[in-house]
Amino acid sequence: MGFLEWLQATWVGKLVAESLWGYPLLETIHSIGMAMMIGSLGLINLRVLGYKPELPLLDVRQLLPLAWIGFTMNALSGALLFTSDAVYFWDKYTFRIKMILIILGGINASLLGQRVFRQAAAAGPTLPPAASTKVIAFLSLVFWFGAVIAGRLIAYAP
Amino acid sequence: MDFLVWLEGTFIANAIRTIPWLYPMFETGHYIGLSLLVGGIMLIDLRVLGFARALPLKSMIGLLPFVWVGFAINVFTGSMLFIYGATNFGPNRAFQVKMAFLVLAGLNALAFDLAVRRSGSSWVAADRPPAFVKGVATLSLFFWVCVVTTGRWMAYL
Repeated sequence: MGFLEWLQATWVGKLVAESLWGYPLLETIHSIGMAMMIGSLGLINLRVLGYKPELPLLDVRQLLPLAWIGFTMNALSGALLFTSDAVYFWDKYTFRIKMILIILGGINASLLGQRVFRQAAAAGPTLPPAASTKVIAFLSLVFWFGAVIAGRLIAYAP
Repeated sequence: MDFLVWLEGTFIANAIRTIPWLYPMFETGHYIGLSLLVGGIMLIDLRVLGFARALPLKSMIGLLPFVWVGFAINVFTGSMLFIYGATNFGPNRAFQVKMAFLVLAGLNALAFDLAVRRSGSSWVAADRPPAFVKGVATLSLFFWVCVVTTGRWMAYL
């Protein structure tokens, strides 16, 4: 508990908590980053699951920069929001569930990246992804939408 | 104001007040809708502006159903949230500006739709969006970011 209390007492934590525009601005960035991530990762995963087969599987990689920009925006804005009220957030089980889902989503994304793009590069983009790869893509949607839901419910959980 | 007071007294508002998980559920739905709506719009606009060129423009414009689903979710969940707190949200400056940006974003989307239809979408097939369409795509990104921003700010005014 010592660390969390120290964190929210730092000048960064105080700035976010006390400035008039700091918190809403970070929340806004967090919402935009969310849309970027869900939009790009959502389309990649749906493509792996067979949606819009006319999109070359290997080329949906071009959406990854958007996902990374969204992720970076949200890691930074999320960390700063956390700093403003660290003890409060850490106590919420919805917050912990969200963090677990993000870790699972991250592991899942790197697995998917290796499989899909290596597979497509080796076998040609017309080959449909293996069933196990589709399971990973489906789980990815579950994890990231789950993170959105858990995140929104932080304000309501005991 | 009478209308807002009346809204807050409807059985819908009362249901949201009495059933404890209803409000968080609508809010969560509003975020999922936001992801589909703004996520989809961004992909289309950025593609028009030249991002991810390897993905056919026609297929990317074909993402519009996701945008519509997200829009429908947010009109519904947004209306529910508004009914619950009508006298609070109605006079809220951030809410009013959000609605104005929503109208601008909608008119802008209409211009995009017309540009796709009217030209027989020859520029879509050729992957050469005219400067006008690129302008519309840029404005679209701007308007939707403004909608999200002002929406987020409602809680702080």
